[in-house]
Amino acid sequence: MALLDFRDLHKTYGRTTALDGLVLGVEAGTFTVLCGPPQSGKSVLMRILVGLERPTSGRLFVDGSDITDVPSGRRRLSYVPQSFALYPHMSVYDNIAYPMRLQRAATAEIRRQVDRAAQLLNITHLLEKRPDQLSGGEKQRTAVARGLVKDADVFVLDDPLVGLDFKLRERLMEDLRTMQKELQATFFYATSDSLEALIMADSLAVIEAGRILQHDETEAVYDRPGHQRAMQIIGFPRCNFLGGRLTDAGVCETPAFAFAARSDAGASIPPGDVTVGVRPEAIGVAEPQTADAVRGQGRVRLAEDLGAETVVYFETGSETLVTCHPVEAPLPRSYDDTIAFSIDPAHLVVFDGATGRRLGRGTGNGHA
Amino acid sequence: MPEIRLDGVTKQFGSFTAVDDLTITFDDNAVTCLLGPSGCGKTTLMRMIAGLETPTRGTIRFGDRDVTRLPPRRRDIGMVFQYPVMYPTLTVLENIALPLKNDRTVSRAERQRRIDEVLDVLGLHHATDRFIDQLDAGSRQMVAVGRAVARHSQIILFDEPTTNVEVNAKLRLIRAFKEITRRLKQTIIYVTHDQTEAMTLADRIALMQTGRIVQCAAPRTLYGDPTSEFGGWFLGNPGMNFLTAQVRDGAVQADILDRPLPAPAGLNAPEVVLGVRPEALRLHAAPAPGTVPAHVLDRVITIGGRYLLKLKAGTAEVKVKAARGAVPAGDAVHLEAPRDALVLFRDGARIPWPENEDPQNEDPQNEDHENKEAASQWTSMSA
Repeated sequence: MALLDFRDLHKTYGRTTALDGLVLGVEAGTFTVLCGPPQSGKSVLMRILVGLERPTSGRLFVDGSDITDVPSGRRRLSYVPQSFALYPHMSVYDNIAYPMRLQRAATAEIRRQVDRAAQLLNITHLLEKRPDQLSGGEKQRTAVARGLVKDADVFVLDDPLVGLDFKLRERLMEDLRTMQKELQATFFYATSDSLEALIMADSLAVIEAGRILQHDETEAVYDRPGHQRAMQIIGFPRCNFLGGRLTDAGVCETPAFAFAARSDAGASIPPGDVTVGVRPEAIGVAEPQTADAVRGQGRVRLAEDLGAETVVYFETGSETLVTCHPVEAPLPRSYDDTIAFSIDPAHLVVFDGATGRRLGRGTGNGHA
Repeated sequence: MPEIRLDGVTKQFGSFTAVDDLTITFDDNAVTCLLGPSGCGKTTLMRMIAGLETPTRGTIRFGDRDVTRLPPRRRDIGMVFQYPVMYPTLTVLENIALPLKNDRTVSRAERQRRIDEVLDVLGLHHATDRFIDQLDAGSRQMVAVGRAVARHSQIILFDEPTTNVEVNAKLRLIRAFKEITRRLKQTIIYVTHDQTEAMTLADRIALMQTGRIVQCAAPRTLYGDPTSEFGGWFLGNPGMNFLTAQVRDGAVQADILDRPLPAPAGLNAPEVVLGVRPEALRLHAAPAPGTVPAHVLDRVITIGGRYLLKLKAGTAEVKVKAARGAVPAGDAVHLEAPRDALVLFRDGARIPWPENEDPQNEDPQNEDHENKEAASQWTSMSA
């Protein structure tokens, strides 16, 4: 059974629906990331979990007991809120130590935990300062440290790295993941950053409009997106999507290319409007590996250099597609260069044009 | 268009030194990106070039003209800021044309030609009659760029112009920017904290740290050949791996090396730092020449669907970035650190390998030839 169990949660504010029948189970000992765009319901769910808000309806279980009506102070959860408040009259050290003092921890233990958290967040040199002497990023790191010292089984982190310097985020992502593995605690972590989600999550829940679109092991969500929006939200650079139409003959026609498609079980898909998703790395620029590869040509509009990877934006038909490959790959990268591409049809994912649900994938280039 | 020559430029705010004794020339007709973490001094440096701050010491020249004490309006520069300052009651066309109107040296026909040119490059022809208020942040920034370049100022300064712009508009802006620089050949200084933007836009990147320029080089040189640990760390996602390596009996030893490598002559230190980029390390399913056994600690998906792995080899932990198809199944792997991908640092600064050492002669089985080809490809692609 899941450690955290959200059962059919609804939350409305007047006419605005924040959570819309949300169902989610978070397993003990996992690093579970809740990833979705801003305003998708992430923070509301976290606030309900720690007891700062009540659901309009639905129940919330932790370790099998219903805690929906348990007051915030009696939930053994550690929480790093998105917008945090530090006590202005206390030093950084005392701010971080505060949750442990509330738990009546021994002074030596507090010292040990605060030092560890401060070291992790690179704020050891700031421990004697007061919050008004800190920069925005330093305040944020202090707030994260405060969330990490409490002796808890579940750590709830609501987008704690948002707005921090890229390099600091890179380090904190790695450190938080290492820390979770060492503590063998449960981390429930919200972010709208797809790369952050991929790098940190063992278990990934994609949320939009107050509902979970897909929840699975991270690689499974990436490799087998169940919903068009899940494919769009998870992945960097962003996934390509083309509008298309599936014919009676099982051929999917898009403005850029056509291909044969079937359901994942191999059945034919009823004709209709579809959306086709293809990840940037699935658009190959070398020789096609299979005879049934989907092929086309385009014109380069922009090449971005990520250091280890090159991202090329090119136009084909009326569409702009994105491809991403290691920097040593032979990619055309000057404006107006011609690019010849090929796609393994299995990497063309077909979604229902109206509902976004997965229908199946490509099976051939449609020439057979 | 003139180059920008800084000589001993320093800026202090009270006891804080924001820019520390910079002597450097930024090339004419080229895009130089000032890149660095927040607080590195890049914005202060740009503001001194613009004339919005006066250096505490040192001189700034545009070509041979000393502009150190000139106010901004007498420097002949265009500027684009994070938040563009524009006239909301004027149309797109009027906003772009306004600075040109005051320039008596430009004929009416020439003025029109320049305006058409920037509208063309920026794809703003359809929006000429729109008011600034009716545009999204990205388009507004596009107009600001148009206004700055239409004047044909000798020098144009950009201060993080894409920071407040959403992703698609940002791409349009970057594309337009590339097109402008290709056509108009102005001397451009572009401030950013975004390494991808710098790598994509710059002819040269001036990497800054605590008020100094750590390295000024072409993007691929900066990435592939950093002169400092800071450069290796700052560029890359994630940045370089740094490992402590022992120097013993004239050889460098580290846990990721299958055998010691000759140390630089006269190196008088018990330890150095070995740097290697995560994507340069290779994984094998079975032992191969140059490999050491390693254990996979962690494995996640990153940019472009590649794996980012954390490995333990001996006592060393390294990050490896590799195509998912190139990563063996299971946690026991064999790690190869290609000799050409390894760099040495001492006290944060790069030190060279011994020059006379030719690894190809010494060990015909290793893959240095292939690596050299890859390296030369890097160079040609940055051109």
